[in-house]
Amino acid sequence: MAAIRVRDLRKTFAAKRKAAGLRGSLAALWRPEHDTVQAVDGIGFEMEPGELLGFIGPNGAGKSTTIKILTGILYPTAGDVDVLGFVPWQARRDLAFHIGTVFGQRPQLWYHLPAVDTFQLFGKIYELDDAVVRRRIDALADAFDIRHLLLTPVRKLSLGQRMRCEVAASLLHQPRLLLLDEPSIGLDVVAKQRIRDTIRHLNAAEGVGVLLTSHDAGDIESLCKRVIIVNHGRIVYDDKVSTLKRQFLTSKRVEVRYAESMPAGFTVEGTEILKVGKGGYGVKLAFDTRRTPVEAVVARLAAAGTLVDMTIEDPTLEEVIRAIYETARPHAGAGDGEASAAVATAGAVGEPPGAAP
Amino acid sequence: MLRRELRFLTALWKANLQAAMEYRAAFVAQVVGMMLNNAVYFAIWVVFFDRFGQVRGWQLGDMVLLFAVTATGFGLAAVGFGNVLAMADVIAGGGLDYYLTLPRPVLVHVLASRSRYGGLGDVCYGVLTFALLADAGPSAFARFALGSVLSMVVFVAFMVLVQSLAFWMGSASQLSAQSVNALLTFALYPISLFDGTAKFLLFTILPAAFVGSVPAALVRDFTWPAFAQLAGAAFALLALALVVFHRGLRRYESGSAVRVQV
Amino acid sequence: MTPAAPVPPAPGTGGALAWRSPAARSAAKYRAIFATQLAQTAAYPADVAARSLSIVVFMWVFIHLWRATYEAAGQSQVAGLTLAQTLWYLVLAETIVLSKPRPAAAIAEAVKDGSIAYQLNKPYSFLLYHFSVGLGDSLVRMVGNLVAGGALVWWVAGPPPDPRGWPLVLVAMTLAWAIDFGMVALIGLLGFVTEEVAAFEWIYSKVLFLFGGLLIPLDFFPDGLRTVAERLPFAYTLYGPARLFVTPDVDRFAHLVTGQLLWLALVGGLAAAAYRAGVRRLTINGG
Repeated sequence: MAAIRVRDLRKTFAAKRKAAGLRGSLAALWRPEHDTVQAVDGIGFEMEPGELLGFIGPNGAGKSTTIKILTGILYPTAGDVDVLGFVPWQARRDLAFHIGTVFGQRPQLWYHLPAVDTFQLFGKIYELDDAVVRRRIDALADAFDIRHLLLTPVRKLSLGQRMRCEVAASLLHQPRLLLLDEPSIGLDVVAKQRIRDTIRHLNAAEGVGVLLTSHDAGDIESLCKRVIIVNHGRIVYDDKVSTLKRQFLTSKRVEVRYAESMPAGFTVEGTEILKVGKGGYGVKLAFDTRRTPVEAVVARLAAAGTLVDMTIEDPTLEEVIRAIYETARPHAGAGDGEASAAVATAGAVGEPPGAAP
Repeated sequence: MLRRELRFLTALWKANLQAAMEYRAAFVAQVVGMMLNNAVYFAIWVVFFDRFGQVRGWQLGDMVLLFAVTATGFGLAAVGFGNVLAMADVIAGGGLDYYLTLPRPVLVHVLASRSRYGGLGDVCYGVLTFALLADAGPSAFARFALGSVLSMVVFVAFMVLVQSLAFWMGSASQLSAQSVNALLTFALYPISLFDGTAKFLLFTILPAAFVGSVPAALVRDFTWPAFAQLAGAAFALLALALVVFHRGLRRYESGSAVRVQV
Repeated sequence: MTPAAPVPPAPGTGGALAWRSPAARSAAKYRAIFATQLAQTAAYPADVAARSLSIVVFMWVFIHLWRATYEAAGQSQVAGLTLAQTLWYLVLAETIVLSKPRPAAAIAEAVKDGSIAYQLNKPYSFLLYHFSVGLGDSLVRMVGNLVAGGALVWWVAGPPPDPRGWPLVLVAMTLAWAIDFGMVALIGLLGFVTEEVAAFEWIYSKVLFLFGGLLIPLDFFPDGLRTVAERLPFAYTLYGPARLFVTPDVDRFAHLVTGQLLWLALVGGLAAAAYRAGVRRLTINGG
């Protein structure tokens, strides 16, 4: 049985519209105008128990709205949702005993208290025995390496430390499903990696299913086996992360600086030169890892002169989505199922909003 | 069932107190400061009755009682359900998310998640002045406790009602602030000053009479009909507030809606 | 309609500013801050109107209270004031309180959360800046409060006192706000030494209500208390301007303004000193 089953989920918001300036304010007071915003526009997917599922998309794509519906925070406008056998907005409290949530931008730890006090309060909230809470805190303190932080008021913790405590707090009642909304927002690379490692570890150790949203493709890459990409409230991709990597995370962008000036007409085999800077010291180029392996490009660049600096970048999420739309066209109608389809359910593929010529 | 919720509520209040103890000096300053604040405010009435003796049958002693009951009722609300003064902002800012993901009754959880310890000063002021000036025995204290708690229920219910409008209006903090103001202002004046429409309004739309004068009268002379009237009003208002809040919850936007500037 | 041709700047205007004295330039700066805030508050008439609801509530209560009180007293005048005069007095006193500059609270907040450190390197006086902002806001809200509260009292008790006194009252009111601003700023600056200043603010405001005569004109006070109250800064903040409004006369005005200036010098001086001392602490301790 699936842990989460979502079918044709929709959510519209009414947004107030107001023209600029004093006259606009007065007009809006007299007769408010509303725009409807389709935040979620027909999303459907399933998630297996114990799965690590990534949910990514640019800001405003509808991923947070979806997760909020799954937890019972928001009522949907239409659609069917089943989370662990509950309809979230009807059985919010029953469901809450079985899920853990972390909203990266909404801390749940009490700011002025040490984290352990919030843990104890959560014990009461989830109706756990004091002895159970103590044992659980003990176990989580080790798993998240937060034992030394538990007695410090939360306001004095660094963001990364605080986020480890946040995730630990959400696991206190041993939920079967963990919903993480942007857990790595604002964290530095090291802190991000620590959070990811711990989540992966707990997934393996306790079998807790994890649904994770992020606008950082890196989170998904290192954590999840399967990924759903949403854009404009629709699913544009639902498949294995490895497939995504093979198909769309292939074009790399490189920027190098040389100690000496490169000659005009400078080329590197297997890459496309995007730009040669003034004086020929800096060069921007792009290549496809399917055709040219990274090490070959690096070797050729190094051979061309004395390297002073070099950065390699992945394509941004927006570029990936654009690439998905482009490759999706020939496949349209070929979507043959839920998780295994290279491109998600038909509706999402046809006309990407704003992408049509 | 009820016992479980009470245990949870106690845990919440304990956490509030622990948080306040992180700032002990501020805690003491707020409690003592609020007591002084009320005392100075009341001094205005001392001056008034010194000059005029009585107005529409009300004397200084009646005002002592009115202030004591209203301050205690308001203080209990501020300490036990402190978010009742800020809930519109919590709703508009998407702050309900946290409470909605936890397996407890949302409204109680939101309201009790914040204690304003100035309110403790109000309670101390109320109890002290009642004890010192109202010449009270144990049965009077029981009536005082009853009156104050009912005053609190009316206050909380009315504020929940007003703040819940944030679900429909987007922002209701102005309205809420004005409502608290108006409610307390009217509650702290002799009800006998008002008649006709004014009096009717104070028993209905702006139920200040049930926060101040009616509980105060009950503390002075307990009668079953008066008790039934006050308790009935308090629970009717509470029921209405609960319905409106839960209606509103369906429209909750969690700060996800985008405001479009054209 | 023909579009207006762009007007080239008149020769010499660019340099004119540079020729003005530093004092004049600095005055222009605060005037500009004041005007900007005035425009900003005025841009939200609905907000101003909503805020003016408070005074309607208060005046409505006062009308009931004082009508009953005058009835009970059985006199048309109490301590030389008629019912109408008392009500107009109260409108003005309430207007002063309800429209007074708010940024004083912002100062307390800035001290408390340490953001005051970021305002230090701006080329203006911290206190004057906040007062200019507050005054711009206050004037707009004052109009809203006077119109709302005045309309109610006019309807109940008849026309307002002699309009020839109004300009004098405006001057006195501005000075009153300045004194109050100094007091509240002083309390906010206490934040440098104690972590909790809210309690002091509450108490100050209630003392102001009592000794300023917000709810009861000082005329109704017992003689001894009245003599003391009249000499305190609170009377110069509320009672003075409100009483001047009811019975305007030049002698009263001169006496009032003299007292206001003295208190302002004292309170303002203290606030400035407290600010300097606080900032020194801040820069030494690194915030």
